[in-house]
Amino acid sequence: MKSSISDLIAAFNFKALLESLIAIVIGFLIGALVLLAFGYDPAVAYSALFGGALGSTNSIASTLAYSTPIMLTALTFAISARTGIFNIGAEGSFYFGAIAAVIFTNIWANMWFGLAMGILLGALWSLPAAFLKVYRGVHEVISTIMLNWIAWFFVFWLVVGPYANPNDPNKTIRIPESARLPLIGNTNLSIAFIIAIIMAVLSYYLLWHTVFGFGMRASGLNPRAARYGGVDPNKAIIWSFIIGGVMSGLGGAMKIMGEPPTYAISQGMANVYGFGFDGIGVALVGRNHPLGIIFAAIFFGMLRAGTALMQIEAQVPLEIIKVIQGIIVITIAVPGLYDLVKNVFKKG
Amino acid sequence: MKEVPIIEMKGIVKVYPDGTKALKGVDFSVKQGEIHGLLGENGAGKTTLMKILSGMLHPTEGKIYVRGKEVRFKSPADALANGIGMVHQHFTLVEVFDALHNIILGMEGHGLLSKINVDKAREKLKKLMEDLNFRVPLDVPVEDLPVGVQQRIEILKMLFRDVDVLILDEPTAVLTPIEVEELFAVLRKLKAEGKTIIFISHKLNEVMELTDRVTVLRKGEVVGTVKTSEATPQLLARMMVGRDVVLRIQKPPKEPGEPILRIENLWVKGDRGEDAVKDLAFEVRAGEIFGIAGVEGNGQTELIEAITGLRRPEKGRIILNDRDITGRPPKELYDAGMAHIPEDRTRMGLILDMTVTENAILGLQWRKEFQRWVGTVDWGKAKRHTEMLINEFEIVAPGVDAPVKSLSGGNQQKLIVAREVSKKPVLIIASQPTRGVDVASTEYIRNYLVKLRNEGKAVLLVSADLDEILQLSDRMGIMYEGEFMGIVKPEEVTTEEIGMMMGGIKYEELNK
Ligand SMILES: Nc1ncnc2c1ncn2[C@@H]1O[C@H](COP(=O)(O)OP(=O)(O)OP(=O)(O)O)[C@@H](O)[C@H]1O
Ligand SMILES: [Mg+2]
Repeated sequence: MKSSISDLIAAFNFKALLESLIAIVIGFLIGALVLLAFGYDPAVAYSALFGGALGSTNSIASTLAYSTPIMLTALTFAISARTGIFNIGAEGSFYFGAIAAVIFTNIWANMWFGLAMGILLGALWSLPAAFLKVYRGVHEVISTIMLNWIAWFFVFWLVVGPYANPNDPNKTIRIPESARLPLIGNTNLSIAFIIAIIMAVLSYYLLWHTVFGFGMRASGLNPRAARYGGVDPNKAIIWSFIIGGVMSGLGGAMKIMGEPPTYAISQGMANVYGFGFDGIGVALVGRNHPLGIIFAAIFFGMLRAGTALMQIEAQVPLEIIKVIQGIIVITIAVPGLYDLVKNVFKKG
Repeated sequence: MKEVPIIEMKGIVKVYPDGTKALKGVDFSVKQGEIHGLLGENGAGKTTLMKILSGMLHPTEGKIYVRGKEVRFKSPADALANGIGMVHQHFTLVEVFDALHNIILGMEGHGLLSKINVDKAREKLKKLMEDLNFRVPLDVPVEDLPVGVQQRIEILKMLFRDVDVLILDEPTAVLTPIEVEELFAVLRKLKAEGKTIIFISHKLNEVMELTDRVTVLRKGEVVGTVKTSEATPQLLARMMVGRDVVLRIQKPPKEPGEPILRIENLWVKGDRGEDAVKDLAFEVRAGEIFGIAGVEGNGQTELIEAITGLRRPEKGRIILNDRDITGRPPKELYDAGMAHIPEDRTRMGLILDMTVTENAILGLQWRKEFQRWVGTVDWGKAKRHTEMLINEFEIVAPGVDAPVKSLSGGNQQKLIVAREVSKKPVLIIASQPTRGVDVASTEYIRNYLVKLRNEGKAVLLVSADLDEILQLSDRMGIMYEGEFMGIVKPEEVTTEEIGMMMGGIKYEELNK
């Protein structure tokens, strides 16, 4: 009996893992076809890609640096998804976390203060959608998309207006040196990566080992039964938004406080844009499981880090990586893919 | 010459992906035009066998013949094409659709958008309902209809598809005695038309009354097939369980104590804003089982939801152990010593996608005995608790980490009952506690409720099963349109009198 139980657990996680792996393989295969179609050699392209992602200490560091922000925004999505909410507001909280770091470290040049304010603003920005959902029944997809735009324009204005750098009009004012995140060894990777991993582990612990997380998951799967079980689903929803805001706010703050050499938001917000959306893909590949998300984020980080070398050595444009990413996410979303592949192998 | 059976299943083996061997080589055959009963304990494999016959599941091994020809069903559509349709233990209707659209859903040529086809379907359905004297409102969203009607829709859905073999998985579990009679009348009519019916039930008297032959399953194997006319309930029970079962409740007389639950002038509104409970007042005392009888849909659900903190009453008070608990949230009520077996196990009592263990602590998750330190769950302790419940209530489960949806229907129900009594409550609210539970376990659960009562606990029992109410209650209220027609002792009234009260005649008016 004991062994059949552990087999069962293994089987369940194994299936999810396999589904993600199948999607990744399919993504690369179709990517290869696209490369061929456009006259590139997939072998050269892919070997450059992996060389760029893992070939040296520096490339590994940049893989991990790329993985950090999307790991946190993926946690935002996953925690909400486990509570039954389709929260795509990570993007907005991420902007607010970033600008909070810029503003507040220039008031008090302390790293912890900067991180705390990033978290605070990120969390606060998640609240409107939470309350609209719970008290007015506004669907979170609508409200978070709109709030993302509001965040975009507001933070944009702060970036080009009050907090523009008088000496370098392409950026905001910089994070003071004493408030920057320490770097690991001789690399460009900051401790942001380690903090992100800790957050993922904490999220896992919250969802699967606390009474509160149990209530969140119960609400996500069956709100009626959760209420019967003494859980207040509305409270669970509000907290899932807040915790999500914490993750993305922290992600935004660390993006700026731990990214040499700029340590500032660039004009047009190019270095804070899109991480919330990429996080959704990471969460899907990681199966909305915080521990799966660690690996999925590192994988996406590899793709990003590898593109530079792929561009140089194989002259492949950066967009091809986006195509591969997109295919992987779509493949994951195809239900029953695993069974399909299994059947094909059975017959074949 | 031997006639060819319409259905013949040979050597059916089913191993679920998690390794559970639900069927171990089952031979099963059904004759054209008969009503064939399928009996067995919870987890014996009845649902599994019928899901295979209706194309929902694939057998691991074995062959199926329809009218002598071998078939392989890839999907329920294949089975339907061969004239086989099944009405499931847990319904599969789209709640926001009305009956008409639920019935035509998924049929070729009846596209939801084509007005002509919909009109044609409506005509055909009307005729069908007319012929069988089996009616449902076609234009009301299914979620607003009582379960009895929902089930009719499921049956009509199959008849609309012109099935020859109709499989009914525990159809009577959710029906009142009157609805059961109506259903049986329809089934007999269908039989007279030449249809074949496979009927699953845990109620032996129903099987005795309705069927022509009975097949009994035990732990995934066929014990035997007998002619109903040559069987007795005792024989069937012995075939099912493998030993003699004593169908008896020991209920010593007992003087009830102080009131535990007091309901004062309670008004509760239903989902559509109607007054579902009207000025109700009663009390449940320590050491007493108070039963609520009545046709389903007369305010029982709303009353129970109000008492258990799931629905806010309009007026009146609910008092538990001298404390006003009106409108308090469920957790507070559980802390005050209440336990609740809800009537709807799959939508309220359980979270189907969670594991057996997670479900076994639902509503107990914050208890100290399951915590490592404040606010964290000690899953080791939770699992030991679950194993204890499984042993005590003889629940058949593949394991404590298996998803609870892989338990058979009756075993799901047993898990809920086990969990609720494990809360050591002073007041237990039991709605349909033995719905879908096999004979032996039903007696176990009923005896358990009596045991709680003997220990001085208060029990509020709601059941559509009148026998259950009569057998267990010390006092009973008969509910009609949100009011009690009378509060009586079971031994003081006849079944006819109860029937009349269920129909809306007050007790005082009965003997005039
Ligand atoms: N999806 C599943 N995965 C694993 N095991 C399952 C699954 N569904 C059912 N089982 C197991 O198969 C066995 C037979 O289940 P089945 O539902 O056929 O029983 P049943 O005779 O219909 O019982 P009941 O009277 O309680 O409805 C049980 O032991 C059950 O735990
Ligand atoms: Mg069953």
